[in-house]
Amino acid sequence: MKHQPITTALPQSPWQLYRRGDYLVGSFTAMASPCELLMDTVDLALGQSLTELAWRECQRIEAKFSRYKPDNLMAKLNASNGKPVSLDAETHSLLSFAQTCFELSEGMFDITSGVLRRAWTFDGSDRLAEANAVEALLPLIGWNKVTLDNHSLTLQPGMELDLGGIGKEYAVDRVSQLCQQQAPELSVVVNFGGDIQVTRPRRHQAFWQIGIENPDPTSPAPLILQIRGGGLATSGDARRFLLKDGVRYSHILNPKTGYPIINAPRSVTVAAGHCTQAGLLATLALLHGDEARTFLDQQGVKYWLLN
Amino acid sequence: MQKLLSRLLLLSMLTSLGGCASLGVKPWQRDLLAKKEMALDAEGVDLGLDDHIYFSKEATSGGRAFAGGGCGCN
Amino acid sequence: MQLSNKGSIASALATATCSLLASQSVAAETPSDPNPWQFDTALLYYGETDRVTAIEGVINASKDFGDEHIFNGKLVIDALTGASATGAVAQPYAQTFTRPSGQGQYTIGANEVPLDDTFHDTRLQVSGQWTQPISENYRVSGGLQMSNEYDYQSIVLNGSIARDFNQKNSTLSLGMSYAFDTIKPEGGLPVAFSSMAVYDDDEYESEDEYDDDYNATRNDDSDTKNTLDLMLGYTQVINRRTIMQFNYGISKVDGYTTDPFKVLSVVDSEGYTQANLYENRPDSRTKQSFFWQTKYAADVGVADISYRFSTDDWEIDSHTVDTRFRFYLSENSYLQPHFRYYRQSAADFYRPFLLQDQAIPEYASADYRLGEMTAYTIGLKYGMTLENGDELGFRLEYYQQDPKNAGFNAPGVLQQMDLYPSVKAIIAQVNYRF
Repeated sequence: MKHQPITTALPQSPWQLYRRGDYLVGSFTAMASPCELLMDTVDLALGQSLTELAWRECQRIEAKFSRYKPDNLMAKLNASNGKPVSLDAETHSLLSFAQTCFELSEGMFDITSGVLRRAWTFDGSDRLAEANAVEALLPLIGWNKVTLDNHSLTLQPGMELDLGGIGKEYAVDRVSQLCQQQAPELSVVVNFGGDIQVTRPRRHQAFWQIGIENPDPTSPAPLILQIRGGGLATSGDARRFLLKDGVRYSHILNPKTGYPIINAPRSVTVAAGHCTQAGLLATLALLHGDEARTFLDQQGVKYWLLN
Repeated sequence: MQKLLSRLLLLSMLTSLGGCASLGVKPWQRDLLAKKEMALDAEGVDLGLDDHIYFSKEATSGGRAFAGGGCGCN
Repeated sequence: MQLSNKGSIASALATATCSLLASQSVAAETPSDPNPWQFDTALLYYGETDRVTAIEGVINASKDFGDEHIFNGKLVIDALTGASATGAVAQPYAQTFTRPSGQGQYTIGANEVPLDDTFHDTRLQVSGQWTQPISENYRVSGGLQMSNEYDYQSIVLNGSIARDFNQKNSTLSLGMSYAFDTIKPEGGLPVAFSSMAVYDDDEYESEDEYDDDYNATRNDDSDTKNTLDLMLGYTQVINRRTIMQFNYGISKVDGYTTDPFKVLSVVDSEGYTQANLYENRPDSRTKQSFFWQTKYAADVGVADISYRFSTDDWEIDSHTVDTRFRFYLSENSYLQPHFRYYRQSAADFYRPFLLQDQAIPEYASADYRLGEMTAYTIGLKYGMTLENGDELGFRLEYYQQDPKNAGFNAPGVLQQMDLYPSVKAIIAQVNYRF
């Protein structure tokens, strides 16, 4: 064997770390989103260990809760066919949280509504779903048909769970927690595709300046936010909708009717204490359709809304 | 002639470097490139064994790695 | 959902979020050592039909000591036995040859390609390589390799420097390697173009007389060969799925390049062997190679394609195409077909035999590996990741060399002989990575 010269430097690690001014940026791809960690330090070793930690946690959460993996707990639940499936503590608390959201929203936030994707394709066209296709799916929807006890979950045959609505925000909060535990004095921004958590204020500056993708696709400039601490999340996708006879159907579906919410804002960004909380508030706002703004005003949170 | 040809090849390789500046990906788009099997020297042990076989059975060696020496097998 | 009494949702959600996050232990899933020693091991069997058999074992250990300071150590042991073509031509009668050591003889049957079956050797090779960054965009690497065989020793030093630019999408590297080889065959080095002495009761009256003749074909005990390699490499990330590499290498060999075990047959106008002369090669060789490789990450697997062109001042040009395609069978197993094609032209001093009525050239070798030939390899590898994360792989390949006549007219009986026999080999390998 002849020695190979170092012809390539391409790091074999799935994440990257680089310095931007007086802080470090760790980045990788997870949950189909660009993920970034901004760390208010220039200590490369600390930056590496936190980025590695964040990446591992994302891999773990994605492997465990993604509905695209063939052999994880989600797949087992969705194929349980009416039989109870025992839950670990983490899954149980996530499902309990989803249950709380279902109750708080009076059934509008429902993690069993993912089956409606079989009927709806939001591609900007005017093709609404077939009425009988929607009708046929409605019996498979409803968290109230689900039995969640202390250690197990029982789904009705044919029902499916989809944690897509809270998974990414949960990952942001988890990673933020891990960073806080590893480096309590360090200010870290966890930014997974625009869902953000800031662990604590920066050392020398009051704010982190964070650019997020502008929810208005016609505007090329990113939205620059100044964040001191807390969480931020955006719900809605300005590119996913249907338009028919002048009515704009958002991709947010009403789990009770099986039809999209009409006249909902195109996107809502909410600031709150935790990213998960902000994400839920943004989603609930969208579920309020044209009353989204009123809902948000009542919550007394800071928000940005794009109609 | 042979030498001229190789110089031309080297020259064209070097000039193509300038044209590559716009190529590449952002740091967070390395998910696929970071896979172990995408490393250029993935399966390094296999490549080393292959190099040894072909070094001893053919007149040419190297290219991917250094060409010379190390074995009396030819 | 009604909008009355909704003021409490935000705070209720805050409470729920806090209990969700608090219910989890924040213990991170960090392994005790993020960069443990990584071992790559392999056992390879190489077997040619009627010729050489080799067993080769490899242990490769590497460790990242943090901040990409990487050590790589490697141990290779191989054992070779079997028969190798001597360069002599087949004859319509049995031929007797002297073993390279001078001790003993062997006989090759009529019409058979002369093979020397005394080939056996064990080689031990150890090497170490250290790579580390020296600034944000520069990396250096240096290494030492030593190998030892019964009749061959080698020490190789190498060093290289690489620079990343364009957000680490491009890497330019320059490497150098210098090898000091010493060859010391049993019985000594043969005198160039001296005639192989064969002990024959009719010809020799005593063994001493034969010994004198054999010793007359020998001069020095040992000789050396030095190889300097320079390599310029360029790697470019094309897009999220594609990476490309170009290498230009120049290699200069000085010293003893002759194979002391190879001979050429001198034949008369009827094709009958009159003598077998030890070969002689130039004492330098300058090689250039151009290497291009592309890897593409498809959803179903990884394609790996490379092409190499090499040319040297012995007038050997070669083209090599090497392709592998890894098909993912599942998340933790794959199947990987391999295809390699190789073609080389003959060295300018290659002669399948010498003619009695022509002057002996300055350099000549009948070693088929310096003649014109094509070769191909087809193979299949199956790999899987075990439950504990270790990787296991199996590889099976078929390699065939087809030497060609580079325009030499065979006189008389040689026309009935197979002067360019194909070599067929099976390669089987097991890999284990932990």
